[in-house]
Amino acid sequence: MRIAKLITLAAGICVAPHAAQADSLYEQLGGMEGIQKFVDRTVELSANNPEIGHFFERSILSRVKDKLAEQICQLSGGPCTYTGARMDRLHKPMGISTKDFNILVEDLQHAMDEADISNRAQNKLIAILAPMHRDIVED
Amino acid sequence: MKSPVTLYIIASAVASLAHSPSVAASPFQSGKLLVTSGASQVEGAGGGGLTTWALITGYGTEDGIGANTHGTLVSTNDFTLRSAGVAVGFYDRLEVSYTRQWFDTGRAGGRLGLGDDFEFSQQVWGAKLRLIGDAVYGQDTWLPQVAIGIQHKDAARETILTALGAADDSGTDYYLAATKILLSESLLLNATARLTNANQFGLLGHGGRGNGRSLQMEYSAAYLLDRQWVLAADYRTKNDNLAFAKENDAWAAYAAYFFNKNASLAVGYVDLGDIALQGGQKGLYLSLQIGF
Repeated sequence: MRIAKLITLAAGICVAPHAAQADSLYEQLGGMEGIQKFVDRTVELSANNPEIGHFFERSILSRVKDKLAEQICQLSGGPCTYTGARMDRLHKPMGISTKDFNILVEDLQHAMDEADISNRAQNKLIAILAPMHRDIVED
Repeated sequence: MKSPVTLYIIASAVASLAHSPSVAASPFQSGKLLVTSGASQVEGAGGGGLTTWALITGYGTEDGIGANTHGTLVSTNDFTLRSAGVAVGFYDRLEVSYTRQWFDTGRAGGRLGLGDDFEFSQQVWGAKLRLIGDAVYGQDTWLPQVAIGIQHKDAARETILTALGAADDSGTDYYLAATKILLSESLLLNATARLTNANQFGLLGHGGRGNGRSLQMEYSAAYLLDRQWVLAADYRTKNDNLAFAKENDAWAAYAAYFFNKNASLAVGYVDLGDIALQGGQKGLYLSLQIGF
């Protein structure tokens, strides 16, 4: 059962606490300043994205940026309270597909890459945001 | 190796079609996130290396159709296994696949009295239905993505297989697969239970001493190193039906690189155990996947 041991070991390494993991996700994302920076960039990318830009046509981009940053701040353990509208009320009527949802995720990943946020921190944030798929994507 | 080449040409044609930007409502949308299509496992289903996953192949979401072709080479001390196939995923719900495998016995063929370079081969028809769960978006629940599947295998060289002690040249495997992506840990875990009586994946026929099916297990752990690199290990238990030669469990460890949503390459090490009295078959695992 050499390999069983190997898999256990591999899995152990994978879930073993990272050196930087003493920091909260909020800190790994660069605090409110870092979050606001990559959120601004994400919204710019998505609003100008030929595939999903039209969803932003009737939005005030500065408000979208602020509310999204506030939400990510709260969800990542930062000292914020999301004060925006409910995600489902906001998004369900828009007819957003899974593909559209994923394009925004890809823009977010792109913006986080530019901000030098580690892959693990990125995945942790996306793990928190992913279940919103239920509230955002059209049934 | 005519068929793999043909498959790649078809795949590339379809992939380029899928990317023509004009068709807004095209079902060939490649809407899933990179890597979440999975790779192609050895029998041609969506999965990785030796194990079948619950993920539906290709990058089609619930609104789209995705597909993959694969070419796989397993080169061990004495044998070479080549595999080529195509799999189509419909609306992230149903997967249909067809794969051909060629198993070249090289010099070992001579030692076994089959003749040098004797080749076993088989065709595998597969179907997989996703039942519940969402491996990607269900990050707030422990429920994995669960799928059931079937693989019908039909091997050539029936008389030889019978002489080797196999009860049948064809047979059907049934499986239940559960896949969980723990994105917060950058980890994918999979467990699959397979009801089968296949000998060496079906290449040496089905059944033998007592030809009842037994439940065999497949496990995978994959670490998402970044958005394009995945490190994975598989372990798969196998039947031991043939009286003339013992069959062992198999495992593989490999790195997969996803160039983009159209191509990925997996390279690693595989250990298939003893095959047809030839001990310790281990060596190279190489798998190229082209699709959308």
